[in-house]
Parts: sequence; C-alpha cells; structure tokens
Amino acid sequence: MDEEILRAENINKYFGINHAVNNVSISFKKGEVHGLIGENGSGKSTLMSMLAGIYPIDSGKFVLGGKELKIKNQVEANRMGVSIIVQEIGTLSGLTVAENIFLGNEDRFVKHGIKNTKAMVKEAQKLLDQYGLREISATAVIDKYDFEARKLIEIVKATYFHPEVLVVDETTTTLSQSGREELYKHMESIKNEGHTVIFISHDLSEVIKQTDRISVLRDGVLIDTVESKDVSEDDLKRLMVGRELNDRYYRTDFGTPVSQEVVLSVKNVSVPKEINNVSFELHKGEILGIGGLSECGMHELGKAVFGASYYRSGDVALADGTDVDSISTAIKHSIAYVSKDRDNESLVVNDSIRDNICLTSMDELSTKNIVLKNRLSEFAKKYADLVSVKMVDIGQFVADLSGGNKQKVALARWLGKNSDILVLDSPTRGIDVKVKADIYALMEEMKKQGKSIILISEEILELLGMCDRILVMKDGTVNGEFTRNPDLTEEDFIAKMV
Amino acid sequence: MTDIQKNVEPAENKDLGNSSQRFMDKPIARDMLPIIGFAVILCLFAVLTGGKIIQPSNLKLLLSQTYMLMIASAGVFLVMTMGCLDFSQGSMLGVSSIVICYLSSYSIPLAILGGMATGAAIGAINGFFHVKRKIPSFIVTICTMFLFRGLCAYLTTNSPVYAVGDIYKYNTLPIKLTLTVVVLLIIFFAFHYTKLGYNLKAIGAGETASRFAGINVEKTKWIIYIAAGVITGFAAFINVVKVGSVTSTGGNMLETEILIALVLGGLPISGGALVRFTNIIFGVLTYKVLSTGLNMIGLTTQTQQLIEGIIFVIVVALFSDRKSLQVIK
Repeated sequence: MDEEILRAENINKYFGINHAVNNVSISFKKGEVHGLIGENGSGKSTLMSMLAGIYPIDSGKFVLGGKELKIKNQVEANRMGVSIIVQEIGTLSGLTVAENIFLGNEDRFVKHGIKNTKAMVKEAQKLLDQYGLREISATAVIDKYDFEARKLIEIVKATYFHPEVLVVDETTTTLSQSGREELYKHMESIKNEGHTVIFISHDLSEVIKQTDRISVLRDGVLIDTVESKDVSEDDLKRLMVGRELNDRYYRTDFGTPVSQEVVLSVKNVSVPKEINNVSFELHKGEILGIGGLSECGMHELGKAVFGASYYRSGDVALADGTDVDSISTAIKHSIAYVSKDRDNESLVVNDSIRDNICLTSMDELSTKNIVLKNRLSEFAKKYADLVSVKMVDIGQFVADLSGGNKQKVALARWLGKNSDILVLDSPTRGIDVKVKADIYALMEEMKKQGKSIILISEEILELLGMCDRILVMKDGTVNGEFTRNPDLTEEDFIAKMV
Repeated sequence: MTDIQKNVEPAENKDLGNSSQRFMDKPIARDMLPIIGFAVILCLFAVLTGGKIIQPSNLKLLLSQTYMLMIASAGVFLVMTMGCLDFSQGSMLGVSSIVICYLSSYSIPLAILGGMATGAAIGAINGFFHVKRKIPSFIVTICTMFLFRGLCAYLTTNSPVYAVGDIYKYNTLPIKLTLTVVVLLIIFFAFHYTKLGYNLKAIGAGETASRFAGINVEKTKWIIYIAAGVITGFAAFINVVKVGSVTSTGGNMLETEILIALVLGGLPISGGALVRFTNIIFGVLTYKVLSTGLNMIGLTTQTQQLIEGIIFVIVVALFSDRKSLQVIK
C-alpha cells in the first residue's frame, strides 16, 4: 500500500523568535506506522499538536485524503478522522470515565436536549470491555485511577472511532510493559484497517521495532525519512543530534572526586501523595541529579528543598542546621530554585526583564530601604549580558522572549543573587540545542566555583552527562542511586525508574 | 459571526507572541493616552459649556470636590496594582466619617487618628478574609461594603451625626491641597523608590512567580489593605471638614467613582507592571471634569450615569492587559 493519506506541506511555527517548526513537509502513507523522532524541543510534538488542532499553524498546511485539513480544535480534528494521545495527561479530572471518553461527542447521546447518561455509560463500558479494561468502571470519576490507567482510558478515547490518522505522542514512557503491549496491539489493528499511526517516542529500539518508516526532526527541520528495516539505533542518533554537537555538549570529565563537605541534608521528607520518606545529602561542588518519570515526585522534591512545598514533613537542613521551611528562608540562605513551570513559577512573565532579575536581590540593591531604578537597570543589564539574553532592552517584558531566553533570565536572577545551592528543575525543557549547551557550560562553571546543584530532569542523557551522582525516583521514593561513570547506560537507568 | 471571530484568533495569537506590534502594549501609548484623554475631555466640555467649566470659580469648585476622591483613589491604586479590588471604600469612608464626627468634639488630631484607625480596622478585615481565608478580594470587599454600609445606616438612623461646629475652619484650599499633595507624594515615593512598590507590581503581574521570587505575598496584601484603609480614613477627614456631618448615604458610590477614575486614568484592571502612578492623577481629574461637565450641560442624573457607563466600558476594553486578565484576584 503506497497510497498517501496525509501530507504536511511547508509547515512553519514560531514561538516568539524561536522557529519551532521550520518548513516541514512529510508524506504519510495509508496503512503504515510512521515514527517521528528527534531530541526534546526538535518540534515533533509541536508539529503533531498543529495536526490535531491544538496549536494554530503559522504557515503551510496539512492535506488529508487530498483535501486541506482546516480545523480549529481537537474535537473537529476527531471528526475529520485525526486523533491524538498527548504526552501530558489528556483526561479531565472531575469527570467520569464515560464523560472523558465521549468528551466533545456528547451529542450522540442527546435527544430533545437531554443527555442520556445511561446510554453513554453503557456504550463506554462496552468499549472498555472490548479493550480488555474490565477493571475500569465507566461511572467512576477519573481521578480514582492512577496515571497509567488514565493513559489507557485515553487510548480508548482516541481510537474507538477508528481514526484515519492516530498520533501517539511519547505515551509509552509512562506505561508499564503490559500497557505498552496493549497500545502496540491497537496500533497494529489500526494499521491493518488501512489507517495510519504516527508514533513519537524517545525509545529508539521501540521505534525501529514498531514502525515502517521513520522521520527525523532536528531543531524544527526535517532531516530525513528512512525505512525502519534499514536503520540501526546509532544511525538514528546520528541523524537526531548531528555530528557537530557530539564533542562538546555534556561534561567530559569522569572520576573527579567530589568534596565530602555536606551543604544540605534532606531527611525523611514526605509530601502526601507526592513524596514518601526521601533522604539524601548534597555536597559542596556537586551536581546531584534526580530523575524518574514525570509523576515520580521529583518535581515536588525540588519545591520541598526550596521551602515551597506546603504540606512537607521531615527536615531540609543546611550545614549550619538552619531548617529551610519557607521560600524566604531558602533565598536568604543562598538557595536558588528554577521551576519546571517557567511561565508561572520561575518568572513573572508580564513584567520587565529588569524587575525579574532584580526581584530577589532587592535588599542588596537598596540603601536605607530606598531603591533607585538606575541601579536596578545596571544590575539587570550586567547579569542579562552575562548569560547573553537576546533582548531589545532590559525594559522588555519577559512574555515576549522565547523559551530559551526566558530560562536565561531565570538563571540570571540567581547568578545575580550569587546563590550557593541551586535547584534546577528541567532547566533545558523545550530549549534549543545552542542554549542548552550554554546552560550546561554555565552549570560546569558554577560547579568549579564550588556551588552545589540539584538537577531535576526527565532527560536521562542529560542526567548521565552532567551529574556526579544521580538518584532515581519511582512512586515518590528513591529507587536507585548511580555514581558518575562513562559505562552507565540509559537501560540501567530505565530499569530503576519504571 | 463565530466563524469570523475564530478566523481572527490565530492572527491575534501571533501578535501576542511578539507583541511589540500591539499598539496598547507600547509603553508610550499607556503613558500618553490618559493625558490625551484628559485634555480631550477638558476641551470638549470647555466647548460644550461655552467656557464655563474653565472659569476660575468653577475650577475652584471642581478642585474642592477632587481632594477626597484623589486621596481615597491613591489607596485603592495600591490595592489594584496587586491585581486585587476593593469595593468597601465608600462604606469605609462613611463609618470613618462617623468616628471622626464623634471624636472631633474632643480633639481634631484624635479625630483624624480615629478615622484612620477605623479605616485600618476595616482594611484588616478585608485582608483577613482575602489572605487567610483565601476568598477572592472582590467578593470579600463587596461583603464588607454591605456590612459597613449597614452599620453606617444604623448609626445615622435617628439623625445625621454632626461634627464639632468649628471644623469648618479647616475647609480651606491651602490646607486641603497640602494634605492631598502630601498623601500623593508618600504614595509616589513608596511606589517608585521602595522594595514594596516593586513587589506590588510583581504580585499583580504574577502572584505565584512572585512567591517563588521570595516575596511574602500574604504579608504584602495585609499591609496594603490596611494602608488603603488608613488612607481612606484620612480621606474621611477631608470629607467631614467639607460637609460637617454624616448621613446614612455618606460615601455612597465612592467605590464605583474610584474604580471608574482609576480605569479612566489607564490603570489595567488586572494590575501588574503596566501600572503607572500618573493613573491616579489623570484618572481622578478626568472623571471629575467628566461628571461636573455632564452636570453643567444640564443632563439628568440618569443620562449622566449612562454616558459614564459607556465611557467606562470603552476604557476598560482599551486598557485591559489581556494577557493577564484572567488573574484578577
């Protein structure tokens, strides 16, 4: 079957000045499983979000079955036969399982303006049974189920109507083996019906095994489309990263001893439903990695160290015994925190670059409680330039910057504060490779200055490449610990996190 | 209709992405428009009233009606910079005025302090329910508005409350003008030259991020609600000096006047970093010229309200910071 079902034509998407998808054209055939790979931030999720109507397209178009696809949201995409299983949680809490499955398609069960809940539940349960999910009840509120079960429900939601094109966006990393098998089975059956699956995953061996062809994106540009049976994982890696980046990206030193001096100790820290009894010590000049699945509690742990976790129990103490129980205590005692949620927590986006950089250093910048704007401007300029933020001037609002530049502003703030302990949660999330390299270089420099860093990340390679020691978390507890070692592989790591 | 609107959306989103194109996001537009607006309204009514409104006697009258609103607006200005609202100002002014009247027979300084303390107490109540009980500020202050409006009516049921007779001696232009300027200078200084001023804007622009930058958001909100109360308590003194007594309607509709004035002055309703100090000055002046002018050209109260309402909606639409509109607290 070589007939084309879907074609992307010269698609472009900008986020601010960041060219996230750059003139991408791909042809998808009927009855194939088409892999889409690339590093984080390479534009694959963005491209698929445009296909599914989640983001508007800046220029270019998708052609489905010979006709241009004009959709404005996910429900319309579904009606046109395009369906997506998203990376993040795609179900709405507070609704029942049945309501989630038929979200946006409730009309089917409406007669004379009245919804027939009974019929909807019956239909939903029938589907769940067909998918082998008998233990899930259609009438239960979705919050009752864990992350994996909710993902399985999403699979039902995305496939029950036999879509012509199904997008599976990094779904497998969050599923157990049996969940994955279930998903593969549905992908296979969709393919056998003559429909198409677009499969996004970071697990290259899985991609090669499950797909017919693979398209590789790098920095928003389509690099190549290859036949899956002709390529090896190494070939794909080379296409994804590009040669020139391999040499200088992560740290290259191994076996350098780390100081024994403890700067921060975390003892028996628990947060209800998030973290369960976690203890560790952070040493001077150490980069300590914390990894795991997104829901493993590591992000909350970062907040707990910064005194920003409201329901924390247990101790977070500095070397001199100070208990870090609030954000102001943490900042006063030289702890910095860059949140994963850049736009809501890291930065006041509707404020100027100047104010964002200066906010935490106001006490140092004021004399006798008087703050002079000139002094703030000088200070902000100095640190924004130090990390080379691309900007018009320091009065520009942070909201107008690209993701990478926003992150630089967040880092500039803490450089200005000269913090000794930095908690960086997903510092390179959604950032292009150049800025990534800058951030890694900055981390190395800070390490050399004797600063300690806790690097929380969902990217395994980044952790392996940058950290002196890595804690792997699973279900809110520390499930494994690795010391820096060139032989450490992703597989060792994944074994502990899933 | 809906189709057209939807088609426009992507273009608009793109504009927000690199919003230097959006006219109202240009700092110069936000700084200049309120001044231009004031000039236009003044010219308009100068023409409509045949120059009557700019005669010295009328200007003096206009000014004498401005002090109280100017001072009270300065307090609410701080509240609104944080993205909060305060509807309790009118009833607060009423209750504070009653306290001032009672105490004025003992000593005037005591009366002023009493008025400010009353405002502070009501501000503290607003702060408590908003900060500690986490109730949105507009709900809290609407509740306190009704509560203290009721108290005000109760205390003045039998007869208006009168201040001591010779309080009129303070009703002179130099005294009232000086007091108003002093209050404005204090607010100006706090807004531009203290950490508190920067914190207010940051809280308005993003409360969570401000918290993560180490700002004690809760404490700041308490301080500002109490400060706004103190300032309105002080405005009550100016009010008593002018009218000499309080009836059950004392301070009625003040909260609305403040809100309209500040918005006319270009204050974004969600607060934040786009707030300018000049919003208070030009807002209050524009509002006063507008309401006095409408009165002078002989419109009925109903028509006046209608016109003010229309202008209010237009200005809100113009000055809203759409990127952060959903975060009114």
